[in-house]
Amino acid sequence: MTRQLAPWLAGALLLAAVPALVESPFAIHVCILVLMWTALGAAWNLLGGFAGQVSFGHASLFGVGAYTTIILYLRAGVAPWWGMPAGGLAAALVSLPVGLLCFRLRGPYFSLATLAVSELVKLVALNWESVTNGPVGYLITALPPLRLFGHAVDWESKTPFYVVAAALALAALAATALLRRARLGAYLVAIREDEEAAEAVGIDTVRAKVLTLALSAFVAGTAGGFYAFYFRYVDPDAVLGLSLSMEMVFIAVVGGLGTVGGPLVGAVFLTTVGEAVRERFPSGHLVFYGLFMMLVIRFLPEGIWGRARRLATGLQERALRHGAA
Amino acid sequence: MALLEVEGLTRHFGGLRAVADLSFALREGEILGLIGPNGAGKTTVFHLVTGFLRPSAGEIRLAGRSLVGLRPHAVARRGIARTFQIVKPFPGLTVKENVALAAFLRHRARRDAEAAAAEVLERLELSHRSGTLASQLNLMDQKRLEMAKALATRPRVLLLDEPMGGLNPAEVDVASGMVERIREGGVAVILVEHVMKAIMRISDRVLVVNQGQKIAEGPPAAVVQEPAVLAAYFGKRVA
Repeated sequence: MTRQLAPWLAGALLLAAVPALVESPFAIHVCILVLMWTALGAAWNLLGGFAGQVSFGHASLFGVGAYTTIILYLRAGVAPWWGMPAGGLAAALVSLPVGLLCFRLRGPYFSLATLAVSELVKLVALNWESVTNGPVGYLITALPPLRLFGHAVDWESKTPFYVVAAALALAALAATALLRRARLGAYLVAIREDEEAAEAVGIDTVRAKVLTLALSAFVAGTAGGFYAFYFRYVDPDAVLGLSLSMEMVFIAVVGGLGTVGGPLVGAVFLTTVGEAVRERFPSGHLVFYGLFMMLVIRFLPEGIWGRARRLATGLQERALRHGAA
Repeated sequence: MALLEVEGLTRHFGGLRAVADLSFALREGEILGLIGPNGAGKTTVFHLVTGFLRPSAGEIRLAGRSLVGLRPHAVARRGIARTFQIVKPFPGLTVKENVALAAFLRHRARRDAEAAAAEVLERLELSHRSGTLASQLNLMDQKRLEMAKALATRPRVLLLDEPMGGLNPAEVDVASGMVERIREGGVAVILVEHVMKAIMRISDRVLVVNQGQKIAEGPPAAVVQEPAVLAAYFGKRVA
């Protein structure tokens, strides 16, 4: 048990140390992005990596969360830190009918359906002006005051957002680890391997997929709420674009499908590469993502984390064999 | 009352009648051989009983309760397990993980499921392969794994779709012995098989279908003498 908890404690400590060690606001900003993308990659990975259900529409869940959080704040005065989980719940609710309908479809048909759903959500956001403000979207001008431990939280500093993002990413990775050990996690792997064989041994494949989609949607929606909270600006292009969905796929694939740590590695890699390339090629960075993903699929199909873990266990086994001999 | 009752089972695919008004019963502890020429509808019967296909008409009851309209996982939960003619292991998982997944149907905790899986593997003499990836087994062991997965769901009825197809004569003997031991463990078996030696040896009764219809039923030795059966297999002139 301690062996399993040790890496988590080390990770949490490292995350806690970052604000003390890093001074540059830009560096903290990059860390926040990495953590937000880790949560999003982990959300996608629950469904895509474990159950093998490739969604091209996760931006719509992210967007539902972002809109829910910002609308609750600006229209009803609900503070964004309550709005974030509410955004997660809203995304999970939206995912239920989508899952029940789309999971009757298998393989590429499910993926195509998710594309259609995400276009649908974007059209609703663009045209339902009384609720979404249409293409204009929403802007938060001031965040509500909050006192914690006797101090007023400074919303102009990046540190409070960093703390929230770190908690979000850790929670998403912990949820992945728990799912992997649970019966549902085993069911998802069976579904990924052979859906008919899974049904034949008594696994309710539709139920397992719908539940996982709802969990994935909750994480993605909460991350969307965080986006609204941190960037204070939500419009259809910012939170509902196809490229957002694609970036979640990239992160999970590059990091390692169906692994716990993969999304973190993928997020670090793609955020740093993305930020570096974006400076030189303002709109061309997606080209590099695509190129990079092709290289990974060709040469590292198990992802960076997956390959590293296999090398590590290989070395361990070799060491054990030598020890025995 | 029979354990499994099938009445008037019918399934059309467009204009083709794959199974037509088929009725039969399976008794507690029985091995029923289901034979017929290629394309006779044997596998379709399995698909219909296990919920992978919906019948166009007819009734299927397990211990008096209807199974029609249930999805495959629900049929498995009621107590009917099946194997596939072309084996369907979870290829990227080990043998033990494969069987444990099936055992999850009756065990909530992973440890209990793994213990149940180990016990089934022991019974089918597959324990020495526990840690092997399913994709790396030879054909005989793949067939064993397919049976182990089915048994791990603790069925009352087991439908075996050509468990001996592609095996050599010595392996057929081993597989026949396994099926008999499964029956002794209290599971009724329906066996689709082309290896006649095995069917003749281990079936209590044989059901012969052709073009989706029952053409004969009875003890194996008697059934193979019937003119309709000979005609279906060898053509009318022989009969």
